[in-house]
Amino acid sequence: MKASATNLNQTQIAENVVDRCKKGDVRAFRELYDAYAGAMYNICLRMTNNVSDAEDTLQEAFIQVHRNIGKLEREQSVSAWIKRIVVNHCLNTLRKKKVYFEEVDEVEVMTEDGIDEAQFTWTVAAVKSAIHGLPQGYRTVLNLYLFEEYSHREIADMLGITESTAKTQYMRAKEKVRQIVKQQNVTR
Amino acid sequence: MPDNFESFIQQHREDFEMPGPSPRVWDALEKELTTQKRGRVVSLLQKNWFKAAVIIVLLANAGALFYFAKHKQHQQQELAVISPEMQEAKAYYTTRIDEKLKLINAYPAEELGLDSAARKELELRNDTYKALEKELKNNPGNERIRAALVRYYQLKLDLLDKILEELQAKRVTPGHTKKQYEAEI
Repeated sequence: MKASATNLNQTQIAENVVDRCKKGDVRAFRELYDAYAGAMYNICLRMTNNVSDAEDTLQEAFIQVHRNIGKLEREQSVSAWIKRIVVNHCLNTLRKKKVYFEEVDEVEVMTEDGIDEAQFTWTVAAVKSAIHGLPQGYRTVLNLYLFEEYSHREIADMLGITESTAKTQYMRAKEKVRQIVKQQNVTR
Repeated sequence: MPDNFESFIQQHREDFEMPGPSPRVWDALEKELTTQKRGRVVSLLQKNWFKAAVIIVLLANAGALFYFAKHKQHQQQELAVISPEMQEAKAYYTTRIDEKLKLINAYPAEELGLDSAARKELELRNDTYKALEKELKNNPGNERIRAALVRYYQLKLDLLDKILEELQAKRVTPGHTKKQYEAEI
């Protein structure tokens, strides 16, 4: 896995909190939840694309965290461990919604359509909106790579596809975002 | 090498973050965790109910045996110490009453014409006997209670004798087992 997300890097959780959680201390679990819920909720929100699913998925994931915290080893990264549980739950939620991460033929991805990126303005709102409008499969791959900072290899393993498919899906997703943002620039 | 789009995301990564979840997520989670905890205890009991039941029965039996052993020893010692002559009377009447009860119980229930409650009443240690014995322990020197207990033994013996006489008058012998009696009628 590449470097952890910025906000997770800033999260410091005392070792004894995890130890207390392992002993079934609900107050310690609340501390753990408070430390990670924000970042994890954002992952859920990006992956599921709606507040209701994001909250449900977050809740289910933390139940799983609570159940399995005894298995977390001392040398393991708490944030990476929780994040993986959350991401897996998000993928399960998507699978329940019949989102398939299919293999794609290795075709050349069109990256040049005469778009001159220097000509248009990237804004957070425009990018958010563009990602929000992506087909679920593209959005998943793009989020996992760009925001959750997993490698193409890790994404391929998670989704049960080949690494090259993961890469191609990402390139297509990125291209789609670029086109949507360009469109927004033109119509402005 | 990151392109413009990727660079933009990296530079503005924090701006893409939304505020955290609503408090209802923790509320629901806390509720779920509490249920889970309770559920675990219940399922543990459910899984091991047979073992738990056996342990409870064994403990109850051990407790009862211990209690009765202590109680009996205590009772005998007490009666023998408080009133040695009453202890002798008890031994005498108990033996005789038991003998007669054995004879009576050899007859079929139908011939006796007594229901189970009445048959139980014939036995020595009924409620009247227990009450008298308790009174005697509380008032060891009370002659009236001693006399009442002896009188109780005698009445019981008389009653059993009377039942036996009636059975014999009907010409039913104690040798008649229940099976034989049923075959005859």
